Amino acid sequence: PPETRIAAWERVRNGPAPVTDVAKLCVCDLLVAQCDVNCCCDPDCSAADFSLFTTCSVPIVTGDSRLCSQKAAIYSLDVEANPPERVFKLIDQVNPSVFCIHATNYKQALSFSSPEMPTSENFDQLLKQFGRTAFSAEPDSWNMDSHAPNPSDADETYRYEYGVPIQTVDAFLRLPSPVVSSWCSDANPAGFLVNQATKCTRSVSVEKCGNIQAISMLFYVNSSILAVNITVQSIVVQSLNGMRTSLNSNDVLRNPMILDELCINIVLGVSYHITYTDTGEIIEAAASFVLGAINKEALSIQQSFEISFTQVNTKPVPVSGNPGYVVGLPVRAGFKPQGYPFPIAVLLSARNTNTYGQLTILQSTSNQDCLTAQGGRTPVLFGYNIISGCKLRITTAMKCQPLTQALLDLLKGQSFPEYVASFGNSQAQDSSNERIYNTFQSACQIPVSLEIEVKWTKYGSLVNPQARIVNVTATTTTTTLKQLPLGRERTIPITSSVVFTDISSPAEPGYKAWPTINAKLPFDFFFPFV
Amino acid sequence: SLLLEILNNSYQLSSVPLQILFYINGFYYIFYFLATLAMIVYKSQVFSYPDNFLAPDLALLFIMAILEALRLYLGSKGNLTEEEAPLGLSLVITVGSVILSVYFLIWQTYVLKADVIINAVLLFTYGLEAVLQVLAIAAFIG
Repeated sequence: PPETRIAAWERVRNGPAPVTDVAKLCVCDLLVAQCDVNCCCDPDCSAADFSLFTTCSVPIVTGDSRLCSQKAAIYSLDVEANPPERVFKLIDQVNPSVFCIHATNYKQALSFSSPEMPTSENFDQLLKQFGRTAFSAEPDSWNMDSHAPNPSDADETYRYEYGVPIQTVDAFLRLPSPVVSSWCSDANPAGFLVNQATKCTRSVSVEKCGNIQAISMLFYVNSSILAVNITVQSIVVQSLNGMRTSLNSNDVLRNPMILDELCINIVLGVSYHITYTDTGEIIEAAASFVLGAINKEALSIQQSFEISFTQVNTKPVPVSGNPGYVVGLPVRAGFKPQGYPFPIAVLLSARNTNTYGQLTILQSTSNQDCLTAQGGRTPVLFGYNIISGCKLRITTAMKCQPLTQALLDLLKGQSFPEYVASFGNSQAQDSSNERIYNTFQSACQIPVSLEIEVKWTKYGSLVNPQARIVNVTATTTTTTLKQLPLGRERTIPITSSVVFTDISSPAEPGYKAWPTINAKLPFDFFFPFV
Repeated sequence: SLLLEILNNSYQLSSVPLQILFYINGFYYIFYFLATLAMIVYKSQVFSYPDNFLAPDLALLFIMAILEALRLYLGSKGNLTEEEAPLGLSLVITVGSVILSVYFLIWQTYVLKADVIINAVLLFTYGLEAVLQVLAIAAFIG
């Protein structure tokens, strides 16, 4: 019959109807289909069970006692009878007070109302009412503020900080890298300004040529960094024997395909170049690919991935630390631009490679003859003391002044820098770069050794100290050239060395300021007089 | 003669029982108003009485008080001056008062037993007054 169907539908919609019949309510009936001890209202108990009870834990079940007249179920044990039996009485309980509730027209007055069952129609309204962390029992008209902050910055470009994963449309820009073993894991996100280079192994086979996503170009170009598409900068094709040729057309995406029992156009290496502004926005992204081919015997390939970041309008210059020098990276040195004592003009060529190079030192060669040395120099690496030298054969024919000049050129190199960058990432315009101090040389002394002493200190916080060069002193030691008698030769060792000295002062912990006692009299302390 | 005057009484049309009833009604209504107001305050403290249920109850109580005052004044004036117009108006207002009393008897948010008692008494009084007013109007017209 349609009525019971509607009733059943209503029950499904609103949940089961609350039990209000006192004869059927039993709060001590906890065990399902089992008799609870001393629970006289339990329907699972038989007369034999009742005879074992000592008392009734629930003697009376009533509705709200403030009602004028209500039904009550009274349970008691008749201990006089043998065996004891339970007595159940259903009576009308009357509240004698004149203020008993005779009737009520307010549904939620005396019982909890069943909550609304969420359906597709009322879901939005229910979510608005109950979706917050706290909600009141008052109806919707009392709804005050607390609109969730609109995600209005979905269109704004994102500003990144160092290390933050670069977001793409669906997830993060991935740089496959080996995790535990050498197999590639595609879950490594690329961090902003974190230059990474990884190599990992991927298992491939010619049969699954078109099915493996990670060996096709599309996988790496598909996801667009929010508002910026990844463009293909260059494609280099590597043949089976390792020969690489650069392709001219960069706009065509080459997908892996099977050709002559080889699987070609598989990605062997990707190099991302991200261009960013100084406010932390990514404005350009380019990828360079190395595509290769595998034959039937190949079971795995090695893929290499790289990502590098360049600030817009600059040319990439390798820094030797950020900001403190990293041990093993070259000490950067150079010249202040001529004629421009003010740093403003230098901003035009902020990262000009000609202005900043490296501090170099004479490199020892195998034949150890100073005058035939090609002038090879090796960069001074921070933290590594170097000593190098050669042997100088002096003959009678050598004159003092050209010899001095030649030795100076040998020791110091063609353009000995004037300034050394105090931090690994210093720019040419930084005024904190250290000037190299040269000691006094007098005429007609030939330089026999050049000692460069680099004093550096730990700078910054105690937990992350940065190396900073404080002082660079280049000391040239000379000796007088004595005229040799004819036909005699002399060999003088020429040395140059670089020594790094740590002059950090011990760290001073910083303490918080002493707490101040803020004692003030109460406002009305001098009450009658003020 | 004097005996005839006392027996006949035909020159006085004002209804004495009605006037007595108006007088008693006035006092009783003051008691009724204060009692109902106190009970509404009690209910709002003891029970869950949200504001959108409390406001109509209070409003209707005050409207009823105003109507009652008007009704008693008009009825008393009409009875004493033996005019049927105010008495008729009073009868109409009595109908409104009856409806309000029925509201407080049945349709209030919480109907306590005391509410039932005082409203029943009020309704009984209204019924009696209505009958007497009708008779008085009939006497004035006729």
